[in-house]
Amino acid sequence: MKLLLTNFSIRFPRLILLLALVITALFASQFPKVSFDNDPENMLAADEPVRLFHHEVKERFALHDFVIAGVVNEQHPDGVFNVATLGRLHKLSQQLYSLQRSDAGLPQVVSGDQLSDPLLTLDLTPGSAWRRGLNVAFSQDPNRLFDENGQSAINAQEIISPSLVDSLQQAELGALRLEYLMETAPETAEDARKIRDLALNNPLYNGTLVAEDGKAIALYLPLRDKTYSYNVATLVAALTADWPAEDQVHITGLPVAEDTFGVEMLVQMATSAPLAMLAIFILLMLFFRRFSIVVAPLLVAMGSVICTMGLLIGLGFDVHIMSSMIAIFLMPIAVADAVHILSEFHDSYPKYQDRVETLRHVIGHLFLPMLYTSLTTIAGFGSLAFTPIPPVAIFGLHIAFGVALAWLLSMTLIPAYIMLFIPQRSLDKIAEATGQQHGTALTRGLEKLGLFSFKRWKLILATSLALLVIAAVGISKIAVNDNPVKWFAESHQIRVADKILNKHFGGTYTAYLTLAAEPAELSSRALLDAAVEQLRLQMRTAGTTEAGMRFLQQINRLSGSAPAETTLSELRRFAAELDNDNAQSWPQLAEELAYLDPTALTLAELQHKLQQAGFSTAMIEQLLQQLPADLQGNPLLDKALSIADRLAAFNFGQLIDSIEAEAAAPAFKNPALLNWLRDFQLSLAKNPVVGKSSSLVDALQKASYELQFQAVAAAEENQLNFSIPTTAAGIGQVFTQLEGMKKKDSLFHLVTRDYQQANVWVQLTSGDNQDMETVVAAVADYIAANPPPLPVTVEWAGLTYLNVVWQEKMVSGMLASLISSFVVVLVMMIVLFRSIWFGVLAMIPLTFTISLIYGMIGWAGKDYDMPVAVLSALTLGLSVDFAIHFLQRARELSQKHGSWLAASTEMFKEPALAISRNAIVISVGFTPLLLAPLVPYNTVGFFLATIMAVSWLATLFILSALLTPLAKRLLETNLPKTEGGPK
Amino acid sequence: MNKLLLLMLLLLPVTVQAAPSADEIVAKANRAAYYAGKDGRADVSMTITAPNGQTRDRQFTMLRLTDQGEDQKFYVYFQAPADVRKMAFLVWKNVGKEDDRWLWLPALNLKKRIAPGDKRTSFVGSDFFYEDVSGRGVAEDNHHLVEETDSAYLLRSEPKDAGSVEFAWYQVWIDKQTFLPLKAIYYDRQGQAYRQIEALKVAVIDGHPTVVEARASDLRAGTSTLNSFSNVKYDTGLSAQIFTERFLRRPPREVQ
Repeated sequence: MKLLLTNFSIRFPRLILLLALVITALFASQFPKVSFDNDPENMLAADEPVRLFHHEVKERFALHDFVIAGVVNEQHPDGVFNVATLGRLHKLSQQLYSLQRSDAGLPQVVSGDQLSDPLLTLDLTPGSAWRRGLNVAFSQDPNRLFDENGQSAINAQEIISPSLVDSLQQAELGALRLEYLMETAPETAEDARKIRDLALNNPLYNGTLVAEDGKAIALYLPLRDKTYSYNVATLVAALTADWPAEDQVHITGLPVAEDTFGVEMLVQMATSAPLAMLAIFILLMLFFRRFSIVVAPLLVAMGSVICTMGLLIGLGFDVHIMSSMIAIFLMPIAVADAVHILSEFHDSYPKYQDRVETLRHVIGHLFLPMLYTSLTTIAGFGSLAFTPIPPVAIFGLHIAFGVALAWLLSMTLIPAYIMLFIPQRSLDKIAEATGQQHGTALTRGLEKLGLFSFKRWKLILATSLALLVIAAVGISKIAVNDNPVKWFAESHQIRVADKILNKHFGGTYTAYLTLAAEPAELSSRALLDAAVEQLRLQMRTAGTTEAGMRFLQQINRLSGSAPAETTLSELRRFAAELDNDNAQSWPQLAEELAYLDPTALTLAELQHKLQQAGFSTAMIEQLLQQLPADLQGNPLLDKALSIADRLAAFNFGQLIDSIEAEAAAPAFKNPALLNWLRDFQLSLAKNPVVGKSSSLVDALQKASYELQFQAVAAAEENQLNFSIPTTAAGIGQVFTQLEGMKKKDSLFHLVTRDYQQANVWVQLTSGDNQDMETVVAAVADYIAANPPPLPVTVEWAGLTYLNVVWQEKMVSGMLASLISSFVVVLVMMIVLFRSIWFGVLAMIPLTFTISLIYGMIGWAGKDYDMPVAVLSALTLGLSVDFAIHFLQRARELSQKHGSWLAASTEMFKEPALAISRNAIVISVGFTPLLLAPLVPYNTVGFFLATIMAVSWLATLFILSALLTPLAKRLLETNLPKTEGGPK
Repeated sequence: MNKLLLLMLLLLPVTVQAAPSADEIVAKANRAAYYAGKDGRADVSMTITAPNGQTRDRQFTMLRLTDQGEDQKFYVYFQAPADVRKMAFLVWKNVGKEDDRWLWLPALNLKKRIAPGDKRTSFVGSDFFYEDVSGRGVAEDNHHLVEETDSAYLLRSEPKDAGSVEFAWYQVWIDKQTFLPLKAIYYDRQGQAYRQIEALKVAVIDGHPTVVEARASDLRAGTSTLNSFSNVKYDTGLSAQIFTERFLRRPPREVQ
């Protein structure tokens, strides 16, 4: 049974080889279909509520993902606000605005800073042949900057740049000017500084578009799709390539980081995995010294990696950040079985001197442990299928497939290979070399180690326990945190740009806080209550009038449950009646005055005209008393009108108008809610991670200030208008101005068109999930302590927030998956060893390893991020392997030698050697990963080595130390039973 | 022989009438669209439709007076929604020069002059531009007659100063009978149509063919604005006095 597969392979090695080749070729044939996906957003399922909400918010407020191009000038005394730099920026902005596709499909931009300038055709194909080759291999086209309809990747209308954002500013004659912040490039240093002052005085731009210190400007390039971001970044780099060194250009933004990671990931796939393979090859050569032997495990590894990737691609999955690591994860596992077989074969051959016999012997006693090690690894990775993160689930299942395949190949291909390709000469040399083999440093060391762990088992166990305690403390310190930008090495240009731009600006990480009010129905009750309140207020200040009392009586007769429309028209009718009864009222007089021809108007003429119109003498007298006799013409009319206006200040129609305006106002024209929002933003600004937040309140206050600005007034007086108008009508009227800005509808990024929902753009200086989480918590606390005056639903969206959500899911998902696979593996171990004790023992090295690894992560302050999370599955799979091999052999040898003491000496010969070889091969084999510029690859490389080292030590030391006191109960008492009868 | 004569007679008026120059057509269209009557008034109901179909409504009354020569004055008075009621705009269109513009925000008791600037910006947040309301100077573009159909002239107009406008050219269909522009499509520098204005309904009022329903569409943003005109009247004898700052604060009887 055990040897079924192997016997078949020994008999038909060519058939097996052919089959393996054909199958591998079949899977490899899927490769050209490959498509890549480097979007961390896909860490969440496409129908994940928070993701759907994020897209809904983007849709609702017409928001885009941005590539941020920051320009920093630290040298010029005016920073970037000098004529030359602004000129370059203006040109860059116009060029990006004009981006279009040439007939040949290449990007074209204007050659100068005018949109009507001739076009310049660019070719962004990289100069380096290696990069070009990679682009071909991974079907990446750097000139892909247009959709299928030829539309630019950049939504030009929505570019945020000084040349393309609105600026409200004061002009001559007390006029208000509405134009772009930088309509044309400045010609003098003074003009340049003026642009700086305008920008810094606009709360929407200060800290977003321009740095507070004036040293930097950031362009926000809105993308039609995130997948363009790397190419847009390349385009910006190409357009700024000839800029002088003092104008540093930094490109960042989460989409760029993510997309760049994707591109670099491809490079890593193409370099790290082969390098790892090479390192493994060299190590195997050192151990076995026979090229022909060493090739076999590599074939197994390559075969299983190719088939697994082929399966992934063939099934139509994208190669994601996770799945790009399949090769790297799979290789050590795939090599392990083959190394075990070869190691045993190598060591046993001298005894049998026949390859078939040796193979049967080796497979015979390796079959079960290898089956179980593979099954446990499959369980470990397979359990990832239950995480709520699709790419991790896919990754886990594919690794599981690859492990199963590697096992199958080890059982079939390795024997077939040994039969066919290992020349007799090599085998003879193995036989000769065996004598010396026992003398190598490794074997000698292992034997000493065995003796040590046998004699000093108490010390070992005590040390292990102490380490576990230290690890537990470390684990409690683990900080769950991830930030795609930190996936790059410190020196990577993305990290550098991130650091510099976040120093100058309010933050390049974006989260959106949406506030949604319930649409409130206009109610008659509210209208009537407001009318009564306003009337009483009016009469309290201006005295009770008969008309006012009549109006109050009328109001009391109306029903609060009638439709609001009816109530409103009734109120209007009463008001009109009362105002008309008052025909001789001041408003009428004011209107009469307005129609007078001011040309050569005199006091006498004015008096005459009013008398003609039938106004009472008393009223006319009251007016004339206040008019200086020498006034004439326009000044006279203006003076008369201002007096009449003052006296006419009240009329019932107006009162109803203002009541309606306030009652019918949507939530985000309500002064109370907007004031709440402003206070909320002020509290948000105190959070150290929040660089800045922008909302419709910022736009409103700025517009209110500029609209009401008076050159003659004192600065403090003008500053009073930098505020939220006190009535909904005032707010609505200012917003109407903002709706008609040059950059149309830009207000609607901050509020919906019905003013029922608002969007607060929160800029964070850090993309760490932890930091985002503190902001989320602070906001929740603030709102709980300071509830908004109207019921408002508060929700988060934005890429930075999405990362938090999948991170949370990942941690809980990984923990659940780890626990479940731990239980599964434990059960498997109990079944394998047919003993609860052995089952538990087998779990000890991996428990120790996982604890120690995560303890180390905690102590080192390394964030628990995606690759770290996935490592737990790898540890589970690999650590238990050593334990299985060790325990299985310990049992066999104890049976053979009759005591653990005798067996343990043997244990530290061949079995320990095989385990050690594996540990060394895997840990050293992955050192090339340490050189990768991407942190997740470094992490995996470092921890693979550490996992191997720790589980190797844990297996050899702790297990043998534990077996020493337990041997009587476990190994030696078992002896008679397994041999079938009492001794 | 008779037949030939008849044919010649039939052709004669055609040859005489045919081929007005592009500039003549544009000049006539400008008169028909913006200079009907000495003065005029209309109630406008404006519906702005967002890309998601959400709509915003505005109602305003517009007064227009042709002053000296081609110069005109406009008074726009808002009736609804409630929060902008009584808001007013005053525009003095000075042909060949910058316009003068004032704004009145009643809730802030604020009168503000708006500096001359880009006239091709949104009129109160709609898809119409200020220039669509008051008319674009005919001399600002070079016009070419592209096609003449049974009912309309098709013209292509290119700006004389390419840097001053966002379009590369526009095409306009002008009705042969009324000379009202029926449709205009604006193209960007990539040759893509991005903006369109259509006259949807025309009625003859006080003897003047008048567009009573018009739509402007922003093809890139997916927004559109429908203007319906009612209570259109011409030659009501509006006084020039109404079109002064004095009447911003105090709406004239003509709009109340």
